[in-house]
Amino acid sequence: MELAYSGLVVVELADDPAGEYTGKLLADQGAQVIKIEPLGGVASRHIGPYAGGEVDPDRSLNFWTYNTSKHSVTLAVGEAEGQVALAELISRADILLTTGRPVDLQAQGLDLESLCSENPRLIALSVSPFGLTGPWANYRTSDLVGLAIGGLLTTCGYDDHSIPPIRPGGNQGYMTAASFALCGLLLALIERQNTGLGQLVDVSMHESIAVTGELANPYWFYPKALVQRQTCRHAQPEPTQPALFQCADGVWVYFALILADQNAWKALTSWMESAGVAADLVDEEYLSLAHRQENFSHIQELLEVFFLIQDSGSVYREGQGRGLPIGPLRAPEELFDDEHLAERKFFEPVEMSDGTSTLFPGTPYRFSGGNGAPTRPPLLGEHTEEVLSHG
Amino acid sequence: MTAVEHARPIQTQPGSGRQPQQRTGPLAGVRIADFCWMGVGAVATRMLADFGAEVIKIEARDRLDMPRRLPIYKNELRSYGDEDPNPDPNKGGLFNNYSRNKLGITVNMKTERGQQLVRQLIGASSVVTENFAPGVMEKWGLTYDDLRAIDPEIILARMSGFGHSGPHHRFKSYGPVIQAVCGLSFISGLPDREPSGWGLSYMDNQAAYYNSMALLMAIMQRNVTGKGQEIDVSAVEAGINLIGPDLLDVSVNNAKTRRPGYPNGNRLDNPQAAPHGVYPAAGEDKWLAIAVFDDADWSRFASALGNPEWASSPDFADQSSRFANHDKLDEHISRWSARRPAHESMELLQAAGVAAGAVRNSQDLTESDPQINLRETFFELDHPVIGVAKFEGSPMQFSRTVQDNWRSAPLLGEDNQYVFGNILGLDEDEIAVLTAEGVI
Repeated sequence: MELAYSGLVVVELADDPAGEYTGKLLADQGAQVIKIEPLGGVASRHIGPYAGGEVDPDRSLNFWTYNTSKHSVTLAVGEAEGQVALAELISRADILLTTGRPVDLQAQGLDLESLCSENPRLIALSVSPFGLTGPWANYRTSDLVGLAIGGLLTTCGYDDHSIPPIRPGGNQGYMTAASFALCGLLLALIERQNTGLGQLVDVSMHESIAVTGELANPYWFYPKALVQRQTCRHAQPEPTQPALFQCADGVWVYFALILADQNAWKALTSWMESAGVAADLVDEEYLSLAHRQENFSHIQELLEVFFLIQDSGSVYREGQGRGLPIGPLRAPEELFDDEHLAERKFFEPVEMSDGTSTLFPGTPYRFSGGNGAPTRPPLLGEHTEEVLSHG
Repeated sequence: MTAVEHARPIQTQPGSGRQPQQRTGPLAGVRIADFCWMGVGAVATRMLADFGAEVIKIEARDRLDMPRRLPIYKNELRSYGDEDPNPDPNKGGLFNNYSRNKLGITVNMKTERGQQLVRQLIGASSVVTENFAPGVMEKWGLTYDDLRAIDPEIILARMSGFGHSGPHHRFKSYGPVIQAVCGLSFISGLPDREPSGWGLSYMDNQAAYYNSMALLMAIMQRNVTGKGQEIDVSAVEAGINLIGPDLLDVSVNNAKTRRPGYPNGNRLDNPQAAPHGVYPAAGEDKWLAIAVFDDADWSRFASALGNPEWASSPDFADQSSRFANHDKLDEHISRWSARRPAHESMELLQAAGVAAGAVRNSQDLTESDPQINLRETFFELDHPVIGVAKFEGSPMQFSRTVQDNWRSAPLLGEDNQYVFGNILGLDEDEIAVLTAEGVI
C-alpha cells in the first residue's frame, strides 16, 4: 500500500518534541525518517519516565512517544568523518528536519539556505523556538516558556488569580509547532510536485502558539478586550459560571449550560426530573430566560447535587443520549477502556524489540485508501550500519 | 545565514477589488466545495485558502455560522452572555479571522433546486469538506459514494468530534468536551484540586490543523495517483495523540494518573527541572515563566540575579536538591521576580542564556512583539463592513511559496453571482429568480 509519505527520505536532526513529533508523523505514514543521534543518544532518550522504571536510553517512554517508526543512526557530528557522512545523507534526502536556533545550526555547521541551493529538490524544514530571523531568534525556550511568551498560557489556569497561570499538560507548545511544521512541509511538497523545486520552510513555535489562542487575539484585534483565565473553561472578557461538576465517583464532568438555549434547558430539566432532583426547575416560569438568569445560583446548586449523586459514566451516556454536550474529564488510563475507541480499534499494538507488545495511540486521521500505523521506536544506533553502508 | 527573505505580499489597499481572481500558491487550481462551519471546520480550510485553493464556503441564510453571530465586534465590547439578538452577519471579527481568502455563497439546502446547485458545484470542484453532525450529509444524499458518482476522483474530508463510526459517533462535542474526553483537561492543573484544564477550545484549533494536514496529504497523493479518498478525522483521537509520555506510562507501566499529587501544575517531573514555574512579576496579575534544566542553566540563572546568598545554599547545590527543595526555591525567586516588570526579567534572563519569558497577552503580541512585527505574522486586510482589521496569519515562512492574502472574509452570499454565474454558468435572470425565491 502506498502511504502519503512513501518514498520520501527524511534526515532528522531534532532535539525537542516539536521536531521529533513532526518526524514521527512522517515516519508513521511511510517516510523513511533517519534520525541522527550523537553517540550517547539524543536528549529525549534521557528523559523519563522509563519502561519498567529502568533508566536506559532504549527504554525512555518520552523517546518512544515522539520517535515511532524511525531509523536511528549515530554519528559523531562534531567530527570530520561524521560531518561528511551527514552531508552525504542530506544530499540523498528529500527533507532535512531541524529544530535548532540560528546559533545552534551555525554550531552544527548547517547553513540551510546553502544546502537548499546545493540540493534544489531539498526541502529544509526548520522548526525552531522563535523562527530563524528576528531579534528573539536565539532566545531559549521550553514548553512552559514558549506558551508564556506566545500568549496561550495567560488564558489557562484558575478563577483565583492569586494562582499563576497553569501550563496544560503534554508539551502542547511543541505540539502546536509540530502541526504547523507538517502543514508547511506538505505545502512545500505540493509546491515541489508542481515545480520540481524544494525550499526552506521556517516554522516558529512562538508564532504557532501566538495564532492558536482562539478567541484571545480576535477579542483584542476587534473590540480591544483582554480575556481573563477561568477554571477549565473559556477565558473571556468577563467571568462566566463554573462548568466543572464533580460526580459520585470523584470524576469531574465538563458541562457548560447555555442558559439561552431552550432545547438544552428542557433536555436538562427532564433528565433531572427523571433522577428526582429537578425540584422547582420544571416549573413553567423557568421557561423564561430572564427567570433562569435571575435564579441562576439556585440552578447551579441543584446541578451540583444532580451530578454528585451519579457516577460519571452514566452522566456521560445519559447526558449525551439526551443531546447535551457533556463529557467526563478522563484520566489517560480510562481511555484504554473506552468502548467507542475500542470499536474504532484506535490503539495500535506495537511489537517491541524484546517481542512484547505495547499499545500506542493510532493515527490522528483515517483515509479510505489506507493508513500507516506506528511501528516501534528504534534502538540507539540500530540502523547506523545499514543506512551508512547503503551509499 | 539561513535568513529567509520576507515575501508576504499583503493587500491592504481599501477598494482594490473583492472580485475573485486568479489565485497563486501551491494549491492554485484546487477548488473546494466547503460545507465547514464553526471553528474547527473554518480553520481547517483557511490554511488551504491562504495558499491558493479556491475555497467556496457554502452557507445558509437561515442558520448563520456561529462565528458570524458571536459578538466580537470592532470597537464594541460585548461578552458571550451579552449576545447581539439581531447580529449583522458581516460584522463578526471571529468570522473574518476564520474565513479570509475564501469565497462565500448561500444555498437553501431545504429546496430541491438548492441541492441540485450544490451537486453541480461539487462536480466543478475536486474536494468537499464538511464538519456537520453525523447524518447531515447522508440526509442530503452526499455520502462519499454519492460524491464519487459525481466525480470519481473527489476527496471528501469529514471532521467531527468522535469520527464517523463507533457507538459514540453521534455524541455532541465542542472543544472543551473533546479536551475532557480525550484526557487533555485532566492532565492539566495543580495537584489535589480540580483540573484547570484549558482556557480555550485548544482542540478546535489542533483538530483543524490535523484536518488541514490530512487534506494536504490526500491532495498530494491524488496528484500522483489520480485517486481521491474519504478522510475521517476524530478530534478525540487527534487529542489522545497529544497527551504525550504520560499515556505510554499508563500503557507500558500500568501507571495510574488518577493519583494524589498528579498533575503537577507548572512543575516538570521529567526531566526534574528546577526552578520550573510561573512566578509573580510587578503589576496586577503579571507573571514570569522560568525553566532551568541543568547545573549550567542554574549557574547562569544565579549570576543573572547577582549571585544572591540564598542561591549558594546547599539546598540548591544540584538539580536533584533543587527539585527536592522546589518550594523553598520558589519563595526566593518570587521575592526577586515580584519587584520587577516581567519583560525586564525576561530580557535579563534571556541575555544570560536562561529560558525565561513574560506571560504575555494578546495586547503584548499585537503591540510589542518584535518577532511577530518583523515576521509580519499578523497582517491587515480591508473589509466592507468592519474596515481595515488584523488577522492571525501563518507561523511559517517559505523561501519560495507565498501566502496569497487576497481578501478579507466574504459577506454573506457575496460570491453568489461569481459562483453561480461564472462557474456554474447560470444567467443573470436565473440568478435573480433564485435569489428572489430564497434558493440562494
